[in-house]
Amino acid sequence: MGTENPGRPSFPMRPSSTPFASAPPTVRPFSSSGPAAGPESSNFRPIPPGAPQTMAPFSAAGPSPPARFIDPSVPSPPITSVPPSGAPYQRFPTPPFPSSAQTPPNRAPPVGQPPFQPPTSQVSVPPPSFRPQTQVPPVAMGSPPQNANFPPSRMNVPQPPSDSLLSGPRPNFQPPFPGYPSKQPVVSQAPSSFPAHQGSFMPPPAPPSAFPSHQGSYGPPPVATNLGYQSRDQMQHPVSARPIGGVQSLTEDFSSLSVASMPGSMEPGLDYRALPRPLDGDVVPSSFLEMYPMNCDPRYLRLTTSAIPNSQSLVSRWHLPLGAVVCPLAEAPEGEEVPVINFASTGIIRCRRCRTYVNPYVTFTDAGRKWRCNICSLLNDVPGEYFANLDATGRRIDLDQRPELVKGSVEFVAPTEYMVRPPMPPLYFFLIDVSISAVRSGMIEVVAQTIRSCLDELPGFPRTQIGFITFDSTIHFYNMKSSLTQPQMMVVSDLDDIFVPLPDDLLVNLSESRNVVETFLDSLPSMFQDNVNVESAFGPALKAAFMVMSQLGGKLLIFQNSLPSLGVGRLKLRGDDLRAYGTDKEHILRLPEDPFYKQMAADLTKYQIGVNIYAFSDKYTDIASLGTLAKYTGGQVYYYPSFQSGIHGEKLRHELARDLTRETAWEAVMRIRCGKGIRFTSYHGNFMLRSTDLLALPAVDCDKAYAMQLSLEETLLTTQTVYFQVALLYTASCGERRIRVHTAAAPVVTDLGEMYRLADTGAIVSLFCRLAIEKTLTSKLEDARNSLQLRIVKALREYRNLHAVQHRLGARMIYPESLKFLCLYGLALSKSVPLKGGYADAQLDERCASGFTMMALPVKKLLKLLYPSLIRIDEYLLKPSGQADGFKNIMKRLPLVAESLDSRGLYIYDDGFHFVIWFGRMLSPDIAKNLLGPEFAAELSRVTLTEHDNEMSRRLMKILKNLRESDPSYYQLPCLTRQAKLMIYSSS
Amino acid sequence: MAWDLIFWVLCFFINIALLASSFYQLLSLSDLEADHLNPFEAATRINSIVLPEFLLQGFFCLSFLLTWHWFMFISTLPITVYHLMLYSNRKHLLDVTEIFRDLNTEKKYRFVKLAVYLLLFTVVLFRLLSASIFFFFAWKFEELDIRTSLFY
Repeated sequence: MGTENPGRPSFPMRPSSTPFASAPPTVRPFSSSGPAAGPESSNFRPIPPGAPQTMAPFSAAGPSPPARFIDPSVPSPPITSVPPSGAPYQRFPTPPFPSSAQTPPNRAPPVGQPPFQPPTSQVSVPPPSFRPQTQVPPVAMGSPPQNANFPPSRMNVPQPPSDSLLSGPRPNFQPPFPGYPSKQPVVSQAPSSFPAHQGSFMPPPAPPSAFPSHQGSYGPPPVATNLGYQSRDQMQHPVSARPIGGVQSLTEDFSSLSVASMPGSMEPGLDYRALPRPLDGDVVPSSFLEMYPMNCDPRYLRLTTSAIPNSQSLVSRWHLPLGAVVCPLAEAPEGEEVPVINFASTGIIRCRRCRTYVNPYVTFTDAGRKWRCNICSLLNDVPGEYFANLDATGRRIDLDQRPELVKGSVEFVAPTEYMVRPPMPPLYFFLIDVSISAVRSGMIEVVAQTIRSCLDELPGFPRTQIGFITFDSTIHFYNMKSSLTQPQMMVVSDLDDIFVPLPDDLLVNLSESRNVVETFLDSLPSMFQDNVNVESAFGPALKAAFMVMSQLGGKLLIFQNSLPSLGVGRLKLRGDDLRAYGTDKEHILRLPEDPFYKQMAADLTKYQIGVNIYAFSDKYTDIASLGTLAKYTGGQVYYYPSFQSGIHGEKLRHELARDLTRETAWEAVMRIRCGKGIRFTSYHGNFMLRSTDLLALPAVDCDKAYAMQLSLEETLLTTQTVYFQVALLYTASCGERRIRVHTAAAPVVTDLGEMYRLADTGAIVSLFCRLAIEKTLTSKLEDARNSLQLRIVKALREYRNLHAVQHRLGARMIYPESLKFLCLYGLALSKSVPLKGGYADAQLDERCASGFTMMALPVKKLLKLLYPSLIRIDEYLLKPSGQADGFKNIMKRLPLVAESLDSRGLYIYDDGFHFVIWFGRMLSPDIAKNLLGPEFAAELSRVTLTEHDNEMSRRLMKILKNLRESDPSYYQLPCLTRQAKLMIYSSS
Repeated sequence: MAWDLIFWVLCFFINIALLASSFYQLLSLSDLEADHLNPFEAATRINSIVLPEFLLQGFFCLSFLLTWHWFMFISTLPITVYHLMLYSNRKHLLDVTEIFRDLNTEKKYRFVKLAVYLLLFTVVLFRLLSASIFFFFAWKFEELDIRTSLFY
């Protein structure tokens, strides 16, 4: 069992330990409590060491040492008083040591607990301890850097009690130092505490099954000897080490995991409860935002580490990706919309040399007549109309009327210099497969209905243009001129030499031709209902659509139901060849087969056409080739394997509607600028580069994110701060040309520890994800996974090296607080669909489709996909109706371990793309009956979830609806599953 | 004698053509990097001359084999093999969608090729000169027969 900090689990669990537990949170209390405990203190102490977890040792060291010395003597009532606040204690009914129990102030829990506790009591326990630890160190250490992050309150807490004590102990501390090892008594006590723990442990609400696991968690690995309670001596070591190193040297806070089996437990390996789990979803590090309040919101731009290394050597020691993830059009919550600024006659204020847009970090000098560019430090003149006087502090007096000088995200209205042609109207073109499989699956009907229902909401009324082409073995064009009452269909069967029959009337203004379009959509399903054509002239149809659209650009939505079989771009059934896996040819399966697709994608981008692919086939359709079109045109791939309108119709309807109605930026280009000395060198995502640093995005919307990596150009950065500016030049649906500018600043640091401290796991994982998926296109899946692992290992090893010298770490793994989920996400990533296993683990099409999808996902969605939420809902469903409003309360995420699943429960698993509704084997039949109606006993895979006329069913539907609304970019189709009869228990 | 001279003259021009082609491709790539050229145009330009260059180079190599110029054949063989490999892997054309990602490798590859062509050029030039000297002044050296001692 690996316990990160053996101590952590133990804390919560034991009654006696409670004091300890409390202690961990606030290191000080610890030491203080130690004395207070008196005899018990011995137990107590040991814990602290253990408890302190890896981090604790250092941080704790300060306080803990005193404890040892003091122990015997320590009679410190005050201490006990300090702790008082512990909900956790109460939980444990049986505190073996009453006195100690009381003492235990449960400070720590408050901070860390909330997230963890919800799941299961057992689960919750470890976490609390966990978090506290991190916090603790700073306190104890009193390390200046960290202070900033921690709320002042915490700081205070520890001190009051400790003050007197601390001062006392410290002096003692050093001298006794040598004596440590000798302290045997402590050790013996430790064991005793141990059993007690177990006892206490039991009480928790958790079912018996949980129990064993608890022990595991709880038991600090004595064998490991890292920090077992028993191994108090060892604990001391770190402490002892400290004095030498000097307290101040300890400026790092980190957490640790030790991988070793607990003495008393049968199961080896890690204790699952002790592992950090991102139950809060994506948490954006806030300390950075506080440092630079004028930065753009992290939803737009996130750096993998907010501390930019100042030298090449530092970069080479940072094994994680160094870069940024940008989501330029992320949806802003109500009230935080990006302000639109129109400079009108002044023209947009930009730096003459580097073309940086004016932003909050520029400085005005020379009485307001000049401004200095923050990126290249060039002095620019302030145009007359933009002039304003400076006040005494050097700030412009009109600051409050100039959002661009206050806010990190603004949008400028671009004058005609920013247009190469008049802004294009929003344009939607549909390329619909009408071959027999499309008809049979009901896809055409759903698509036609959805498009029709969205006609009113298409952005850009009244300029919106629309057009259709359908195809099977021939290509059908539709003349929808407004003067017609009925659309005219023209069939072109010459696939080798495509021509467009009526170049002008195939693409029409929606508001003018509304009736014709509606008539067409109404009749589309019936027109082809008897079609028995099995061929698909996809390539020629695509070319035809390209010809029609090339004048304006726009968005091309392709609905493809079978493998392209005629004309250019026809694809072979190369299929998923088992023999190819593990060989050098493996990656070729994931690349487009025919260069036609890449060439076509390049042409489409050139003419500002963005492609979204909707693929429906139950057979192999070579998504790898089709998806290429979407990849290089900034689009996305929607894949509905074995589409049946009855089952998947709702999903398609929702996602197509979202695609059609979300705010879209047309004919866009994006560039990210950064200060001198650094440069963005590689870009990852769905787009095409138009020049070395210019991303061409024919149609971009809020669900797309782009990642980029940067490198140092100079060997040494001399500036204190580096600025980044993302500029997206686009045509809004209303026909205005706009520039969305996001500006952020980041400090330059000289210290690797600082980089780790300011690291952002979400951005790192997002970049890793893109790099790994790209790697699958040039090498084996296994290589991609290995290189991912290797980088994480290297990074953690480097981090370990930072600390190994000053602290004895034993066999524990240490990691910075900011990266505590990195390993978990890394593991999740290598188990994600694009990367997992080999031949048998995922269909090739599915693999490719989700690869394309993940390349474009914003950080938050990606993290949710990698670590889905698991929610238990049966209790909520059974509650009397009066309390039904507690919706928020039930949304507690459980850790994704087998132990979270109770066979009497009903769970929802939500990864943002699917729901899995899990019925426990012993779930009361009433619930199942209410939710599923008369079919409740049937095979669940064939049952679709519909609303029934009872409260429970309505509530379930409400839950699902709320979950979906929390992120509307995809629709989660519920998939029902029942716990299997035979459940194999695996040790976590 | 006359055939020998004609052969080397031919080789000389082929080599110049190869040099020019490499140089042009390199130039296009640099232009692309400096943003003087958009990727679509750069890819079209380069891709349009890749195959002719391969063919020409293949012919160049083959002609040495057929005329039993072993040294020249061996020295042109690596490039031919590399070209064949690229072609059979269908990697000989620039991928316009990923052009910036491959830019550095492509440039390096063309630099190396340019250097090899230059080396060949010096040899060819030398052989051309010697061939022409022998052709025009053969009567002077007939007894000496320097060629055997020099290059055969």
